[in-house]
Amino acid sequence: MNTIETTGLTKVYSSSMGRRRVQALLDLHLSVPQGTIFGLLGPNGAGKTTLVKLLLGITFPTVGSAKILGENINNYKVKKRIGYLPENHKYPPYLTGGEVLNFFGKLSGLEGRSLEKKIDELLDMMKLLKWKKTKVKNYSKGMMQRLGLAQAMLNEPELIFLDEPTDGVDPIGRKEIRDILLDLKAQSKTIFLNSHLLSEVELITDRVGILNKGKLLQEGTVQELTDKEEYLINIDEESGSLPDNINTSILMKLNKGKYSLKVNDIVELNKIIDQMRGGGVMINEIIKHKDTLEDMFINLITESEKENQA
Amino acid sequence: MKNILVVSWYTIREAMARKVFIFFSGISGLVVIFTAVILGVTNVDSIVQGFAGKNAAPMMAEIVSKLEIAITTPLASLGLLLAIFASSSFIPIMLEKGNIDLLLSKPVSRTQLLWGKYLGGLLVVFLNIAILIIGVWLSISIKFSLWSFTFLWSILIITFTFAVLYSIIVLFGVITKSSMFGMMIAYLIFLILSPLLKFGHGDLQNIISSEFWKGVIDTLYYIFPKTSELMSNTILTLAQGQGIENYQPLWTSFVFLAAMMFISNYIFNKKDF
Repeated sequence: MNTIETTGLTKVYSSSMGRRRVQALLDLHLSVPQGTIFGLLGPNGAGKTTLVKLLLGITFPTVGSAKILGENINNYKVKKRIGYLPENHKYPPYLTGGEVLNFFGKLSGLEGRSLEKKIDELLDMMKLLKWKKTKVKNYSKGMMQRLGLAQAMLNEPELIFLDEPTDGVDPIGRKEIRDILLDLKAQSKTIFLNSHLLSEVELITDRVGILNKGKLLQEGTVQELTDKEEYLINIDEESGSLPDNINTSILMKLNKGKYSLKVNDIVELNKIIDQMRGGGVMINEIIKHKDTLEDMFINLITESEKENQA
Repeated sequence: MKNILVVSWYTIREAMARKVFIFFSGISGLVVIFTAVILGVTNVDSIVQGFAGKNAAPMMAEIVSKLEIAITTPLASLGLLLAIFASSSFIPIMLEKGNIDLLLSKPVSRTQLLWGKYLGGLLVVFLNIAILIIGVWLSISIKFSLWSFTFLWSILIITFTFAVLYSIIVLFGVITKSSMFGMMIAYLIFLILSPLLKFGHGDLQNIISSEFWKGVIDTLYYIFPKTSELMSNTILTLAQGQGIENYQPLWTSFVFLAAMMFISNYIFNKKDF
């Protein structure tokens, strides 16, 4: 079952006079299965936050429709089952951490002792319990982020949207947040993650979508998206000659004696090695290089920008 | 309804965090104490006897109503001026990025959010005005042993006057996401437009000969809220124990309030954040 499903979701922002139109999202078809961590990546202004806002009814679509947890996004009552941590969230500065959670807990339909118990439990999990009665205006950025995460988890949501959840959090705190997210996933919760930190996204997500200028460029598992293997081959050029029939589109000379070889699998690599060895070429070194999510992301965005310019 | 109450309660918290409402409560408290002390040390009976002789009772009633008006009307007007200032940012702050996103991500409808903010603001003003009026009323009534309960209705009339002005602030807050414009329009209506239209609808009608201009002034008079009449004529008749004699300023102002809130709600429900 899909927790999120969008059909042709499009958002165009118009200025008040209607003169300027910004295409924030274009014909988006996306499905996020239940119990997965989905990472949405994209440069600034790609439309990541717009998509989350559309799904949460904060902004309305120009065209298209979407469903979350099987309900139309226009039904505000479905938000009882959703948690959200926005980027740059603000809390009333005159409230304490405990009061902030109390307020949002009550808005989520919780009350009484169960709410108080949940607040203490989450503050403890986020290492904020001793700051429960401190006004949030005195919280650091990292503390605010952890409070935001607690707020997003208050109603034990089935689906959590997190916009830059580790922003301003130190490395140890980041690891703790990652562990919490993995724990939530183990409880079959679906997590929708917007982040610039590609290395982090790579560590925890099951599926990734890459968005640029409102268009979904690619979507799949990290494995699928970073599938191409690359090898650096260092040969002794004087020992022999490279065979003529070798595919030059996959073999590229970098500098003297060094070649970069892009192959789909180890079988193809062995075939080329056989051809080289058959020609008497002495191979000094083969270094395996796998694209990281970041490499793939940068390549994809660069290509997309070139296409847009053309 | 529960959601509206939750938002209202936290709006009261927001209001209490602002020094303006505390300042007004402090002034009200001081005025009540000052009134009680002055009346306590004044021998009112002998003064009234000296002036009125055997007809002391009607004069006493008149003194009570005039005292109530003299103390509460200027203070309540000051209270409204401060309340407009303090409440003008309730909606713009709610609509700030990072704030509205969080609120709209909860199972609360936009209508509930807007009405929660509106009712919260009204409750704060109601409490402030109630402290002032009840305090002054008790001090005077105990001293003169004259209990004019109809005067207490002025708590609701003053709160209603604020409700009308606040609806303008809400509308402009929703449209512009800024406190400045709504606050300026509310002050303009309260301090200039409403007194002018009251004058135009009354005494000026005898001076103007043009039927066209009479019609224009009358139309504007009926469209805009009658805060000036509510704060003077209506409260005066309440203090005199006569009840509300003319309901027209009340219902026409209510129609204005309803229109403002309807438009605010419509725009808020359609707006992208």
